[in-house]
Amino acid sequence: MEIWRLPISASQRGKLISAGYTSLSSLSSISSSDLARELKVSESEAMNILKVASHSRGSETSNASCSIVEGALSAWDMLHDEESLMHITTSSADLDNILGGGIHCKEVTEIGWSSLSLIVNSVLKYKLTTAFGSESIIFMLIGGVPGIGKTQLGIQIAVNVQIPNDFGGLGGKAIYIDTEGSFMVERAFQIAEACIEDMSEYNRFLRKDFQECKIKMLPQDILENIFYFRICSYTEQIALINYLDKFLSEHKDVGIVVLCRVKVIVVDSVTFHFRQDFDDMALRTRVLSGMALKLMNLAKRFSLAVVLLNQVTTKHTEASFQLALALGDSWSHTCTNRIVLYWNGNERYAYIDKSPSLRSASAAYSVTARGIRNSSSSCKRIKMM
Amino acid sequence: MTPQSLLQLTSQKCTTGCPILDRLLYGGIPCDSITEIVAESGSGKTQICLQLSLHAQLPVSHGGLAASSLYLHTEFPFPFRRLHQLCLSFRSSNAHHFPVNDNPCDRIFVQSVHTADHLLEIMSKTDPFIENSKNQVPVRLIVIDSIAALFRSDFDNTPVELKRRSSLFFKISSKLKALAKRFNLAVLVTNQVVDLVGPNEGINGLFLSRNEEVIREENEKSNGQSCDFVKKKMRKLYVVFAPHLPESSCEFEITREGLFGVER
Repeated sequence: MEIWRLPISASQRGKLISAGYTSLSSLSSISSSDLARELKVSESEAMNILKVASHSRGSETSNASCSIVEGALSAWDMLHDEESLMHITTSSADLDNILGGGIHCKEVTEIGWSSLSLIVNSVLKYKLTTAFGSESIIFMLIGGVPGIGKTQLGIQIAVNVQIPNDFGGLGGKAIYIDTEGSFMVERAFQIAEACIEDMSEYNRFLRKDFQECKIKMLPQDILENIFYFRICSYTEQIALINYLDKFLSEHKDVGIVVLCRVKVIVVDSVTFHFRQDFDDMALRTRVLSGMALKLMNLAKRFSLAVVLLNQVTTKHTEASFQLALALGDSWSHTCTNRIVLYWNGNERYAYIDKSPSLRSASAAYSVTARGIRNSSSSCKRIKMM
Repeated sequence: MTPQSLLQLTSQKCTTGCPILDRLLYGGIPCDSITEIVAESGSGKTQICLQLSLHAQLPVSHGGLAASSLYLHTEFPFPFRRLHQLCLSFRSSNAHHFPVNDNPCDRIFVQSVHTADHLLEIMSKTDPFIENSKNQVPVRLIVIDSIAALFRSDFDNTPVELKRRSSLFFKISSKLKALAKRFNLAVLVTNQVVDLVGPNEGINGLFLSRNEEVIREENEKSNGQSCDFVKKKMRKLYVVFAPHLPESSCEFEITREGLFGVER
């Protein structure tokens, strides 16, 4: 809140501003006698100003020093924050639509194999600007059967997070944690190339003077901004996630380089190493939820999105086998959003299985040479006999 | 822990020895990952394996890995005769890469595997084996033909047994991946098919093929005209999924000299 909104007389306001007091917080630590001397007013008048100021500061928000628990936010503030947050597009307009604009930062999203790509395509088509707009934390879990496109979605997100602010992106960097060895550099290069092409097309379409806003990005730059970690065991995985805190602090924005910092962590897949060597399932659950807590903490502190890719498993219930996301039921409590990717006939679909803020919906997407895009009939699964 | 630079991370490929198939696979079988071949019996899985272990010896400039290979076989007997036959034509067509009295078969290490636990045991010995072989031609290719045979008989269809089985899958595949990563190996695994038990055809399909490239071959008897005397077999190779390949397919044939793609 600023000084001019204080319920005090105009002359007092003028004196305050000309003395250099523009915000309420600048009045918070000054004594009434000092203020009286500086403004050349009587001490009781200064006391009055301070009283009004501290009163309005108190009623303004409950978040600052006055809140009972430090750091607590009111729901109103959080909503306001969230609206200013950016989303990471999935490049599939349909997918972004069901995700409310893309992947949120500050949340953990699990993606089964089916949904990430949907998200990627929708944004590019409709609202390249808004799609990349929000820096909220998303913990997102994405799961699905082999070959559905989980890794594709992971790579696409790692590339899309780097779309600059001018194009409605986050202009961030990505951390890619590969536990399965399925990350292919040549594929990431292809997707990065297509992403840059799309941006310049968008540029031509929207702004006639492309002199001014030329794209200086190269696919190499995009690859350079993906921090790639290859993990070969679950101990390494836990160690890396413990280390990320330090890594992220080191790669925080310094001074002017606000744009360049990590905005998304993709873990492909969180499951793989935890499906072996664990006889004690309770221990596994504890280790996993500890890891999830750490990731969530990172998401919150550095306001980044966490995308976890999960595998499917067969669940044996009542003498029948059913496909279910791996790691069990308790794990499914840990993520904020959960997206399941699945085949519907010959088309890939993403389905929002769990989300506190999005209604459940599904959307078709396809995996193309250029990455994840809206579904088109041309990209059908090869029917296997 | 430091991140690897993606710009320095190159994906090396091992040629299959046929330009058409190489084009389909963008250069061949990728290093640092596992490739699975699924097919019915008699489709040519073993043929691909044999051919690849020969072509891995080509110099890098010719698409090979300039390396020797480790061939683990679970089906008996090992097709020495066929390997020798392929070797002769391989040597004559690539004579300039090898000395006169050199036998490419010398650089294929063959080991038989009897059970899944045996396989794990062998793999734990593979580390020192590959490390110590560095003075000779390094091992850059591991072939397991076929992984499915190990799992077909030993396991009952009860939940406990299935759990044990799937935990073995994960152990084996993570060990293979760690090996592939450590020595930058190409790993080729073959799998069989079963009559429909579920949505996935390969018996190990759901587990081992996770996320790796799966190439599927298929035999289609051509319904040629009835006057055709010789029944010609059409074989087809599908890329089922791979992180870097589009879904695609190609026909191929198997001749005395090896396995070759056919362009239509």
